[in-house]
Amino acid sequence: MTRVPRQHDITQLLAEWRDGNQSALDELYPLVYDELHRLARRYMSRERKGHTLQTTALINEAYVRLVDQKNVRWANRSHFFAISAQIMRRILIDHARRHAYAKRGGGAQQVSLEDVATVLPDQSGELLRLDEALKSLAEMDPRRSQVVELRYFGGLNNEEIAGVLNISENTVTRDWNMARAWLYQQLTGSGAN
Amino acid sequence: MTPERWQQISRIFNAAISLDGQERAAYVKDECGVDTGLRSEVEKLIAAHGNAQSERFIDGMAAEAAAPLLVNDADFEPPRLSLTQGQQLGSYVILDALGAGGMGEVYLARDSRLERTVALKVLSEEIAKDQRRMQRFRQEAKVASSLNQPNILTVFEFGEVEGLTFLATEYVDGQTLRDFLKQKRLKLGDILDIGIQVLAALDAAHEAHIVHRDMKPENVMVRRRDRVVKVLDFGLAKVSDKKSSGNESEASEADTAFKTAPGTIVGTINYLSPEQARGGPIDERTDIWSTGVMMYEMVAGVLPFSGVTSSHTIVQILEKDPAPLSKLGNAPPELERIVEKAIAKSPDERYQTAKDMLIDLRSLKKRMDLELEIQRTSSPTTMIPAIRTEEVRRETGKRRVLAVVLIGMAIVTAAIIGINVWRSWRVRSNGGAVAPATAFAPGERTLTYWITVQKFRDKKPFQDPFTIPGEMIFEEDYQIRLSFSSPQTGHLYILNEGPASSAAPEFNVVFPSSTANKGSSLIAAQQVTQIPEQSWLKFDAQRGTEKLWLVFSEDAVPELESVKEFAGPQTQGLIADPARNKVVQNFLKTHSETKPTIEKGERLTTLKSPGKLLVHAIRLEHH
Repeated sequence: MTRVPRQHDITQLLAEWRDGNQSALDELYPLVYDELHRLARRYMSRERKGHTLQTTALINEAYVRLVDQKNVRWANRSHFFAISAQIMRRILIDHARRHAYAKRGGGAQQVSLEDVATVLPDQSGELLRLDEALKSLAEMDPRRSQVVELRYFGGLNNEEIAGVLNISENTVTRDWNMARAWLYQQLTGSGAN
Repeated sequence: MTPERWQQISRIFNAAISLDGQERAAYVKDECGVDTGLRSEVEKLIAAHGNAQSERFIDGMAAEAAAPLLVNDADFEPPRLSLTQGQQLGSYVILDALGAGGMGEVYLARDSRLERTVALKVLSEEIAKDQRRMQRFRQEAKVASSLNQPNILTVFEFGEVEGLTFLATEYVDGQTLRDFLKQKRLKLGDILDIGIQVLAALDAAHEAHIVHRDMKPENVMVRRRDRVVKVLDFGLAKVSDKKSSGNESEASEADTAFKTAPGTIVGTINYLSPEQARGGPIDERTDIWSTGVMMYEMVAGVLPFSGVTSSHTIVQILEKDPAPLSKLGNAPPELERIVEKAIAKSPDERYQTAKDMLIDLRSLKKRMDLELEIQRTSSPTTMIPAIRTEEVRRETGKRRVLAVVLIGMAIVTAAIIGINVWRSWRVRSNGGAVAPATAFAPGERTLTYWITVQKFRDKKPFQDPFTIPGEMIFEEDYQIRLSFSSPQTGHLYILNEGPASSAAPEFNVVFPSSTANKGSSLIAAQQVTQIPEQSWLKFDAQRGTEKLWLVFSEDAVPELESVKEFAGPQTQGLIADPARNKVVQNFLKTHSETKPTIEKGERLTTLKSPGKLLVHAIRLEHH
């Protein structure tokens, strides 16, 4: 399998997807997935100590590598970010799911000695729960759900989100506050009666 | 939730969070008017907002949180750490990698010297160079090893070997209270259990004049297996000295240390006491405060003091009263009172000792257990909880399982009681039950018995009944049934000898009676005789030694046949005739000199006696 898919294919697929062809996403997904995945690995090995992974930088790089700049038919990169955020979400959730599954079968012990909060297993569960909560939010309030997706999964800042969703930055901030509080409630159970 | 409702909530929420404190509260109250449901939703959301902010909830990016997942790829591999399975580190043999964190790596290891399993925290080089952090570990090791209490994580060793610095502690397979709080709302019973154990730990520490100073959910572990709580991280603890005021600088130094320590989880300040926030002198009552905050959080699901920024939080800690617990959760008023007392702003108004708070929580727990029982059991009868025939049969099938599991539990319990109130002496043959097959030799009497124990609380059955082979130690609220069976046909007599207070003991006839076995002492081979047939024998708190005499004879025993008439519920079988009582006494005395052999199994006791007569007393003592 070629490591870097032909730029033309990706660009074409993105355009088709934007134009409403849902099956384009299915084709797009593995291509972008592989690329993001590869980049993520590289970033992680490079920055192993700090464990920081700049999503934006990563997507940017993927964008440059994947999309044929000359043939981009849309005006700004926002759409790519929006799509990438969705794809990123799917990739991470898929990973978390497999991870959680492996954990159940693999019998990895959980340990808690003050600073072991970064132990892996918990992260996957949390991510899966967040994803579920985000789906519920989308049913009630699609825009706020999208704000979270763009920010948390896509790594976009408020200005970029405002551009993608064509709303004001203030609205983005308000949406974010409300959505985050609600998600926090859902995940901690602090909203339950 | 309807979209309209959602929009309404978000409108009020968004406006409210741009306001501060009282203004905010007034605004929310005003907007919601009489709609208390709406108000509660908004208030919860505002609280969640504060918590989300201070905990930096989804503040980073998903990919950051999930980066290790991406790297580890499809199959989960334990983090690759520098030590491998089987590797030796001093006297420790590495068994498994448990995880890696900012401070270093954690392994499950075996201490080959002392043959125990430990959690081995191997500190990263970076940390090992950091004098302040190292001091914390040294301190933790020193303090925790001086405190030998089951709710305090045992620290075995802090040392260095082959250039690696490590901390060896007791291995606890469980989760921190923080994890628990994230996952779900805790039940009231769990909250009390956790609170009680945390305070027991603090009580022990305070007795030794050690103040923890960094109590928070991250430092409370709950063991998976049995929910035993372990308080960790005495790294900031110090010896208290209430009288001296010279510890002020030390106190603030330590607090600064943990406020700024890299890797410290954001949100720590939420548990600071007002005196800590002020940088004032600190004593045991600071731990009371922090425990109160944790309890509040457990009950309400939100923090009592949580502002938009750290300084807002501090202001709240210093000045604001949190929302009453009764509004946020379904806390009983007593728990609300306890928590409020723990988080009184002035240390002088708080619980003065962990012990005081512990006592209050324990008695609340007791009361709640009782209330729960009343709710759970529905039978209104006082004494005979009408265990029906089918239930009895089912219970027989259950015995196998129950007995094994519960015997161990039952034996530990302490108080003993005398059999006193015997009701309903009806004995019936239980044709449905299969009598245990016991071999017997000719010229030998064999009798098997077992005791079914039912715990009672407030005169109502509590938990499933369980079976034991014999003389256990009963608790006051236990009630029992006895079952007998023999592979032989014979005459069975059961008498109760009351607490032996004088030379002339009194006997009560338990079996047979007009209602039990139709007044006949004769039982068939393999017949299972259960007394009482449908109710239970109750213990009371009368002190002394009770004996339950069993007489099993090939032939009818005239001395005992003559007292059958006394059996009955009115007199509780008391042999009212002193002369005949004396006869019984003499008979038992004479024949009990030949002791049967006793074979005690897991569920049954089998008695064997040579000859035609078997006499044995089951002794029930209480101290």
